[in-house]
Amino acid sequence: MTQPNPTRRGAPVDPTGRYVIQPNGHVTPMSPFMEIWRWHVTMAASILFRATIIAASVGAVIMVGWLGALAFGPEHYACFLSLAGSPLGLLVGFGLTVVVLSFVLNGGRHLINDTGHGLTLKAATLMANIAVWAPVPLAVLFWVVLFASGRVAL
Amino acid sequence: MSSPVKFKNHVKVSERHGASEWLSERVLLLGLMPLGLWVLSTIHTLAGAGYGAVAAWFANTLNAVLAGLTLVVFCGFASLAWKVILEDYVPQAGARRALVLLVNLICLVLAAAGVFFITRMALGSAPLPAGFGA
Repeated sequence: MTQPNPTRRGAPVDPTGRYVIQPNGHVTPMSPFMEIWRWHVTMAASILFRATIIAASVGAVIMVGWLGALAFGPEHYACFLSLAGSPLGLLVGFGLTVVVLSFVLNGGRHLINDTGHGLTLKAATLMANIAVWAPVPLAVLFWVVLFASGRVAL
Repeated sequence: MSSPVKFKNHVKVSERHGASEWLSERVLLLGLMPLGLWVLSTIHTLAGAGYGAVAAWFANTLNAVLAGLTLVVFCGFASLAWKVILEDYVPQAGARRALVLLVNLICLVLAAAGVFFITRMALGSAPLPAGFGA
């Protein structure tokens, strides 16, 4: 490695190689690269919201399929129900409830942060943690209720 | 294209339509918050329901209107959100334009088809393809 040795303008000798001399002679830290960012849950919440929107779009296609099956009459709807009631269909249904819950919680977090609120480290971390983790236990609870009330059976 | 430069609270106001797209995305998302909770309660109501029960549910005008509203608002939000995602991850201008157009087209078709199906269910129309040559 041939890092320029930054000794100009009184800067300390740099054994870490984290400083560079700019063309105008200023000694500045190197740009932070992706790999030296410390992981934080707010990043996960941010990227998960995009993933949620993509998953919700797939969910919208499935919902329009449900509406189409209804509009094409009882036989087509029975076909849809047998697909939705199969183990794979129930898994997709569980995933969709996770997506809806994630959409509401993460969207709520996004809207609160967009108005400039909840941007302290503590509040942002708390809301991001809720948005990332809460959808799964809530969806499990939702499906426990569905199974317990006999609306859905495996 | 670009309008004269304007400032609000010493911050430059967008010269094109970026600001209005940002704002509409937030307004649509705000609308989707209560509608999302309504979708969950609807899933709870209609999970495993037979054709008759679902048809009776759609006969209630409020249900049909809320279903159509949810679909239209979501499709509007999705088209704006997908545009943001594509603008971040697709560097080639031509491919980006084509994909944004494709996503808008899919959103439009989804919303139109969904509203059509919902209207037929709400009016208690005969099962399709009745009225289309059958």
